[in-house]
Amino acid sequence: MSATTQLPATPPSGRAPAATTAPAPAPAPRRRRAALRSERPGVRLAAWVTVVVCGGFGLLPVYWLLATALTPRDQVFAYPPRLFPAAPTLDAFAALASNEQLFVYLRNSVVVSVITAVLSVLVSAYMGYSFSKFRYRGRRSLMYLVLASQMFPQALLLVTLYSVFSAYGLLNTYTALVLSFTTFTLPLCVWMLKGFFDTIPDELVEAARVDGASRLRIIHSIVLPLAAPGLIAAGLFAFVRGWNDFIFALTLAGPDKQTLPPGLVNTFIGEASTAWPELMAASLVVSLPVAIAFIALQKYLVGGLTAGAVKG
Amino acid sequence: MTTPIPHTALTRRHLFQLLGLGAGTAALAACAPSAGGSAGTAATGGGAKTDFAFSSWSLTEETAAPAIQSLLGAYGDDNGVSIEEVSYPYNEYISQLTLQVQGGQFTGAAHVDVAWLGSLAALGKLQDLGPLAEGVDYTEAGLTAAQFDGVQYGLPWNIGAIGLVTNSAMLAKAGVDEFPVTIDDFTTALTKIKKLGDGVIPYAASTKAAQLKDILIWMETFGSPLLDGSTVTIGDDASVEAVTWYKELYDKGLIAPDVDRFDARSLFAQGRTPIYDDAIVGRDAVVTESPDKDLAGKLAAQSRPVLAAGDTPRALVWGGAIAVVDGEGAETAADFARWVTSDPDAAREYFEERGLPPATESALALPEVAADEFGAQFSERITATATSNPFWAYPQYAQIESAIAEQVQAVLVGSKDAKSAMAHAGETAQGLID
Repeated sequence: MSATTQLPATPPSGRAPAATTAPAPAPAPRRRRAALRSERPGVRLAAWVTVVVCGGFGLLPVYWLLATALTPRDQVFAYPPRLFPAAPTLDAFAALASNEQLFVYLRNSVVVSVITAVLSVLVSAYMGYSFSKFRYRGRRSLMYLVLASQMFPQALLLVTLYSVFSAYGLLNTYTALVLSFTTFTLPLCVWMLKGFFDTIPDELVEAARVDGASRLRIIHSIVLPLAAPGLIAAGLFAFVRGWNDFIFALTLAGPDKQTLPPGLVNTFIGEASTAWPELMAASLVVSLPVAIAFIALQKYLVGGLTAGAVKG
Repeated sequence: MTTPIPHTALTRRHLFQLLGLGAGTAALAACAPSAGGSAGTAATGGGAKTDFAFSSWSLTEETAAPAIQSLLGAYGDDNGVSIEEVSYPYNEYISQLTLQVQGGQFTGAAHVDVAWLGSLAALGKLQDLGPLAEGVDYTEAGLTAAQFDGVQYGLPWNIGAIGLVTNSAMLAKAGVDEFPVTIDDFTTALTKIKKLGDGVIPYAASTKAAQLKDILIWMETFGSPLLDGSTVTIGDDASVEAVTWYKELYDKGLIAPDVDRFDARSLFAQGRTPIYDDAIVGRDAVVTESPDKDLAGKLAAQSRPVLAAGDTPRALVWGGAIAVVDGEGAETAADFARWVTSDPDAAREYFEERGLPPATESALALPEVAADEFGAQFSERITATATSNPFWAYPQYAQIESAIAEQVQAVLVGSKDAKSAMAHAGETAQGLID
């Protein structure tokens, strides 16, 4: 039976039936199911094909990562390519576990990314709040200046930062990495949080003021808790930026403070050959923390990124 | 303070202002002074031994690192010094080393590709190692490869060439019993190989833009000098003929699209091509990655075919040298550079671990080195007639090679004819040199 037959029939007069006789509206899930059933098979098939293709597009590289990690090195480029490894092996993962240097890279990545995230959120929260809720001379100019810093080519900034850090003796330190990563994350974090703070009614701030709350109390006890999703989104963005960076970590960190991306390239990509299974296994393992963080916090991330997007 | 604030929106005016700011900054950056080049101080390698740094891309490679670290350990123990290891991935190495040297962060000994010497020498911080090379039996080819502008900026460590590496069993299967000497015969042989079918690529020549600089050696084979004094000759008849021939191979499926050195090695290792271009350093990679456990025995090095019988086969010099960056520890680093490149025991140990050709006559005469059949073939058939890329004399050589490669690729994909593309490539290269 098609869903349309379940709808109340329109009386011959063309007028809507009286409220007293109209059936209660179906709950939302039932309406959605009914709408799906109403689609023609061709449309549903097309929808499913689209979902599968898009899903495959996103997941196939991840599968290929795993398959290569499980493939012996002499079969990685076997022709024709195999969808499933013919002789799967965990050798690549075992090699990772026995490579102590990788744990040093991992520790460095965690330290640098976490500090970058905290520092970015801390600074951008105050900056974003200031841009959103205060009016002062030069506010707009400052906002655009922050945005303009995103327009510089990173390579240009790398040389500049290298010179500055070198002059201050900061090369080969965590400080150099954290400061450089924060430099790049701040503009987006500030604008993201400004958008979030814009959605918090000024009346709420005014009411707290009337109740005698100080400016800092208002920020810390009222505004920041309300902006928690935005703060999490900004922190996650900054964390991922620090976790994934290659060229700054390679240039500024030195051998002792090197993070995972340059560390993996240094370890597995050589002049003449690449240890693909080990590289894929390592990539898979190191992407897990970021993937888990995304899954756990994705609702905040989406909320934070779109905050203020439709505010008039 | 709580008065609602009108929302700020990016207007076209704002965007223009920001673009202007960005352009201004870029212009300022472009006007920044470039590094001046001058010969550094002459090395003596003498004085009291001090700690120093040694930089090499191989220090973190799992196959190469143990051999180098063993040598560092031996020198350090013998001389009571500590050697700091510095390493960057091969593809990032020269840019990182340049930054470190220019910023004064790195002094000491640096393992360099001979192609990079010009760029590093332009920084004006490399020592002249000429005095240290005196009295050591370095090969003439090695010494020349490690020079720039007549100055011995490096001591040769492993000097070889890039030439044709073949799978003799596959060639025999295709009926190519004698490797062709001339280009016409080579083309005929490739056609025979194609008849093997099963997706075999007769010649895994480089066709990706990043590696299309390989075409330069074919241009020289066809008779183009590439550079006459400081005049770029690309665009002459020989270079156009070379690219026309390459395009013909491409159109006939005798070479394949989208191949670089890494792809070529993989194709060779998997038995999907019997011919590709490589240096001897690629041997380990193809043998390790191949499911054919007998591949090492099937490898053969071949002279590049020539335009007419009797011509000298062309090959491109490839190799590593040790340069010394002036500063703290430089004298001991220079002594290390001479020791590691010329000491017979060090040469033997390094050869046994890595199979790379040493650069002194005495080391080449070592029984272990002489017993390496493939290595001997490589030296005799390829390295013997190898020459440097004339563009390496210019620090901007990578840009020149990219400009040429871009035009060759335009020919391969059919968007330009060979004559106009090579004329354009020559003009661009000349512009970069001038």
